[in-house]
Amino acid sequence: MSSGKIVQIIGAVVDVEFPSDAIPKIYDALKVEGEGIETTLEVQQQIGDGVVRTIALGSTDGLKRGLNVSNTGEAISIPVGTKTLGRIMNVLGDPIDEVGPIETDEKMVIHRDAPKFTELSPSTELLETGVKVIDLVIPFAKGGKIGLFGGAGVGKTVNMMELINNIATQHSGLSVFAGVGERTREGNDFYYEMQEAGGVNVEKFEESKVSMVYGQMNEPPGNRLRVALTGLTLAEKFRDEGRDVLLFIDNIYRFTLAGVECSALLGRMPSAVGYQPTLAEEMGKLQERITSTKTGSITSIQAVYVPADDLTDPSPATTFAHLDSTVVLSRQIAELGLYPAIDPLDSTSRQLDPLVVGQEHYDIARSVQNTLQRYKELRDIIAILGMDELSEEDKLVVARARKIQRFLTQPYFVAKVFTGQDGEFVPLKETLRGFKGIIEGEYDDIPEQAFMFVGTIDQALEKAKSM
Amino acid sequence: MAGAKEIRGKIASVKNTQKITKAMEMVAASKMRKAQDRMHAARPYAQKIRNVISHLAHANPEYKHPYMVAREEENTIGVIVVSTDRGLCGGLNANLFRLMLRKFKEWEAEGKQVQLCVIGSKASGFFGSIGAKIVGQVTHIGDEPSLETLLGTIMVMLNAFKEGDVDKVYMVSNEFVNSMTQTPNLKQLIPTEPAESDDYSHHWDYLYEPDAEEVLEQLLTRYIESQVYTGVVENISCEMAARMVAMKSASDNAGKLIDELELVYNKARQAAITQELSEIVAGAAAV
Repeated sequence: MSSGKIVQIIGAVVDVEFPSDAIPKIYDALKVEGEGIETTLEVQQQIGDGVVRTIALGSTDGLKRGLNVSNTGEAISIPVGTKTLGRIMNVLGDPIDEVGPIETDEKMVIHRDAPKFTELSPSTELLETGVKVIDLVIPFAKGGKIGLFGGAGVGKTVNMMELINNIATQHSGLSVFAGVGERTREGNDFYYEMQEAGGVNVEKFEESKVSMVYGQMNEPPGNRLRVALTGLTLAEKFRDEGRDVLLFIDNIYRFTLAGVECSALLGRMPSAVGYQPTLAEEMGKLQERITSTKTGSITSIQAVYVPADDLTDPSPATTFAHLDSTVVLSRQIAELGLYPAIDPLDSTSRQLDPLVVGQEHYDIARSVQNTLQRYKELRDIIAILGMDELSEEDKLVVARARKIQRFLTQPYFVAKVFTGQDGEFVPLKETLRGFKGIIEGEYDDIPEQAFMFVGTIDQALEKAKSM
Repeated sequence: MAGAKEIRGKIASVKNTQKITKAMEMVAASKMRKAQDRMHAARPYAQKIRNVISHLAHANPEYKHPYMVAREEENTIGVIVVSTDRGLCGGLNANLFRLMLRKFKEWEAEGKQVQLCVIGSKASGFFGSIGAKIVGQVTHIGDEPSLETLLGTIMVMLNAFKEGDVDKVYMVSNEFVNSMTQTPNLKQLIPTEPAESDDYSHHWDYLYEPDAEEVLEQLLTRYIESQVYTGVVENISCEMAARMVAMKSASDNAGKLIDELELVYNKARQAAITQELSEIVAGAAAV
């Protein structure tokens, strides 16, 4: 293999000079060796005279000009397949759970093409989550792509953990969790929770059902930029074996952010809001690969951080276009103390269609949205003129909308430590029955407080009796 | 500058609302004075006729008019409901209707039926929608009601009483305490009740010419008419006062809303400027 020498280091970007007859290809992995340092570099640009510009996947501490760099001749490849179950690896596929190496010959390169459109398979089978607001207005499809959008501290991770709890632990297939630039503590919590729930079996790894890939906040931008691809490659391998896979990514925005951190150092001109000019391309390359084919399916749930609660920011706006269902978490709702703070008006799903969910479900969901929308319009009038000026019908709409708002909340299993209340898994049938009753005015005489943090409508009636 | 335009539009719309509520507040204030004058003008006559009726009630004449005798069985109750014609007067009508609904429940529990004569389109709309039995109604009485417009509904009630369709007649209207406070008030009209606060240290009996029956019939009818008329006039004063207060608080609320929106708008504007600047600077630095 050819070898070269480091000629420039700026943060995470390293320039390496090779003999002009042995220049590495784009995306080739290079290894820095010597003086107790072992770092992998990934070629991004050829800048002429045998010099390639690379991103370091790992710390660049201790690197210096003149160090020897050898070309591996291929892109980063990671171990895949069933041997990775129950294990945690980093971006390079190295195990980081300290229980020995991952013994497998199956390896795959993390850069791949998206499946051809002739191989794709649409799916309309619904995935029941047990979360009332999601099942009602944002139904998920098996093999669909779901985004959880939210600003800082409105509950993206809690919602994702609840979905993992409700779907992944009940799910018979395999799951992949990619921790991208989020808190290391959360990754750690997840690992131990999975051990308790049986998703990870440290005695018998072959009985585990989840593979984990972490590139958290503490890691350099190169790792955070590529770790989503590593996780995705694991999921793709399972899919191509014909399985149904759940892929959880927390948090796609950190992937974009890592791109921003590298972009200017790579010499690209910043674009709108300071994002990299290649934002749409990077996002497209990643998202297009997360898809279901005729052989198997990937159901992906991605958390997306929304900077400054502005959904029109280029990063979340670019992500929007790729998803089937978008769950928008709203700060206004969180401020009212209503959890989960999912906005039923901003959130959308392609599955909310009478041909998919059925006419009854569709009608109930739409009338819930209509009632809430009407309440939103009336809020200004109430703020200025007061409740007394509303007509009798409008007063009824407001009363029902407030009940709906409260009935959209529910206790979470994963939030038990905060609320002290057991979680509730609400079957879709119960959800529909409850909302239908509220819309039709069956519960007009029940105080709205009774609808707060309950599961089914029967629990609300029970609570009303004790009030 | 996403969103800034919407915020500006919203500010403009709230400002327009504020202009309307301010104008309504001032109109209501000037109308209130006139309505109060009318209310005061109606009082001496009402007071006098009530005195006469009180004396009558305390006397022991050989003839008792049916309006003065309580019936043994009270199966049906008649209520004359006085409300306003227009809205935007705070909780004035809502409080009155709430009182009525409470009374309806009580009467229903006692097995009594209710017939209504409604004055004012708000009551007509409300009681129509809840399905109460309305036997007479008059709407659009204006700011200066004349007795003639009210006579029709009053006569309906009186006739119903005479024919035994109703056994007791109430009137419900708002009482003008002061310009900040108005309280809904349920008053019994038939059988007539003597006003308790009057001084009865001496009372006398009357001599009737040509006879008691004819005089009392006329007199009691006049009495009830005057009670309803004063009630309506007082209710209009209440309406104006309530509207003035409601519109004042609406203007204040709109002002607050505008302040909040302006803060949001300024922040959005500043954020857009800062962002554009930083993009230009960063772009220039990268070149």
